Amino acid sequence: MSEIRTSARTPKLTLSKVKDAVMEKIVFILAALSAAIIVIVFIFIFMKSARIFSVNGLSFFTTKNFDQQILKAFNAPADKPVWDFGVLGLIAGTFLTTFGAMIIAVIAGVTTAIVIAELAPPWMKRVLQTVIRLLASIPSIIYGLIGLMVVVPFIKSSLITNQMQINFIKYFQLSGNSMLAGIIVLSIMVLPIVVALSVDAINAVPKKHREAALALGLSKWRTIVKVVIPAAKSGIIASVILATGRAIGEAIALSMVSGGVGNIPNLANGPVFFLTPVLTLASAIVNKSETMSFETIQSALFACGVVLLIMSTILSVFTKVVQNFVKRREGNV
Amino acid sequence: MSKLSNTSALNRRKITDLFGQSISWLFSSITIAVCFAIIIYLVIKGKNKLSLDFLLTQPAATMDQHKSGGISTPLIGSIILTFIGIIVAFPWSLSTSIYLSEYSERNPVAGFFRVCIDILAGVPTIVIAIFGLAIFSNPQFGFLSSMVEGVAGARKAFGRSFLVCGLTMAVMVLPFIIKTCEEALKAVPASYREGSLAMGASKWHTITKIIIPSASNGIITGVVLGMGRIIGDTAIVWLTLGGTLRMTGHQPWWLPQNWWSALTNTGSTLTSYIFYTSPAGEVDMPQVAFAGSLVLIILIIILNLVVEFIGKSKSIQKEQ
Repeated sequence: MSEIRTSARTPKLTLSKVKDAVMEKIVFILAALSAAIIVIVFIFIFMKSARIFSVNGLSFFTTKNFDQQILKAFNAPADKPVWDFGVLGLIAGTFLTTFGAMIIAVIAGVTTAIVIAELAPPWMKRVLQTVIRLLASIPSIIYGLIGLMVVVPFIKSSLITNQMQINFIKYFQLSGNSMLAGIIVLSIMVLPIVVALSVDAINAVPKKHREAALALGLSKWRTIVKVVIPAAKSGIIASVILATGRAIGEAIALSMVSGGVGNIPNLANGPVFFLTPVLTLASAIVNKSETMSFETIQSALFACGVVLLIMSTILSVFTKVVQNFVKRREGNV
Repeated sequence: MSKLSNTSALNRRKITDLFGQSISWLFSSITIAVCFAIIIYLVIKGKNKLSLDFLLTQPAATMDQHKSGGISTPLIGSIILTFIGIIVAFPWSLSTSIYLSEYSERNPVAGFFRVCIDILAGVPTIVIAIFGLAIFSNPQFGFLSSMVEGVAGARKAFGRSFLVCGLTMAVMVLPFIIKTCEEALKAVPASYREGSLAMGASKWHTITKIIIPSASNGIITGVVLGMGRIIGDTAIVWLTLGGTLRMTGHQPWWLPQNWWSALTNTGSTLTSYIFYTSPAGEVDMPQVAFAGSLVLIILIIILNLVVEFIGKSKSIQKEQ
């Protein structure tokens, strides 16, 4: 009797076991595929730009005048393609706009986060958090459009004088599309990210930390500065790194407002330093995409992609390191 | 004497406190004013042009703002792309998150997968865009777009179509949906799993019948966030969809027999339409661009409200 029962049950049991094993394999393969994507991205982008790196070597990173090189490659005869490119101007543009935007975004973002999380009354907190979350999800094209319609005309009418335009006409045209416009648009774009994530980090600080500090007689402000912010530090740093990554990779908004010429701003020019038109790595890909049918230019743009890819990878790894460091230190304490 | 210095130190501290506090109120009120100004500015600039007619007519290639038509095809384009992107990305990322949270018990392979996915999450969309262009202009993928014809000796796919763009979008949102789904699955209490397994259910049965239903709110949130990212992306659209104003497949594109042709040809989305009509694009029609932006923002607000609503229903469940 019992033998019959087991023999009747065995096939059903194995069927569900087989299904289990098969599903586990399928799920594993799909997971491996999503991990493999980044490897495929690296391989493809490196492959497409290999020629550029082998022709230019390290001088790819130390030569400027990307725009003239694109023009030269564009006008080159088909049997004698020009492979000389250098992205120093683009790297400088990327670095300066990102750096400028992050300074503004960190100062304004962290103070706003403090006000929202600690100082504002509850009703205000709710309204502000909703607005900030909405702004964090607004597409970059809209920031670009507003920058182009508001910030650029403002810079042109109030900061650029005719004398300046005459003085610099042989180097570049001062039209309002400038590094400053790029910095302003970029900082407004990443600000909600910094605020939203910093508010989360501050809210995650346990209430007893605050209570202990207040019980020791610290004022509310001192409690925030000396206790809450240090405790929320790792979250705030993570938000800043994330925002930096967004700023470096922003293509469309910057290609609209930053001028689209790969100049390196010169500090000796005084205030014109900020008014110089610049081009970043990401916006160069958008700006020059119309000439992508030329193999030389296409490879050069993929080489810009390689630089961006390396930068973003470094930032991601850096975030991991910061998180692990904080986790380990907190574990020890 | 000592009392005096004490009070002066206290006063100084009070002044620095007040100073710090007022500085942060100042900065934050500037930030918040800018935020409100952006939204109000868009509403004011965009509302003139906005009407049902604007939503339902095709855009026309003209320099005249009054004859520019509406945004029906860009709107449909955004919806098609979101649909393709989510259809591809959702099952893929859900299975990845199931593997990461249910099958891998802290093994190094899973750790490596996580690092890869984290790095993918940080890659700028423009890089994903040129990657999509590079991979789908291989002639093997010609069936997804169209083959380049008329160029002697070139065997290349065009690499720009709704299908190509949708697949590239799927790659872009993959890491974000994986992250949200994984967190949702991890938040399911271990007792659910143990209970189900103790009743004799198989592991797969436990996952599909117990864990996924109880994590459904988080999973839906992930999908909705992914939709928002796809709708808002411009770089990928600009490079892999081509940025033509109307659908370029066989006309009329809405007939079922022309659907495949529409999907394998170029078109536009709201974002690329805004770029095209902004002063930076090919025609300078800021009024139309602002109206398009307003529609885009309204779509984003609806998605945000959906996420908020899901979050609320979840918290109610928890309280009960």
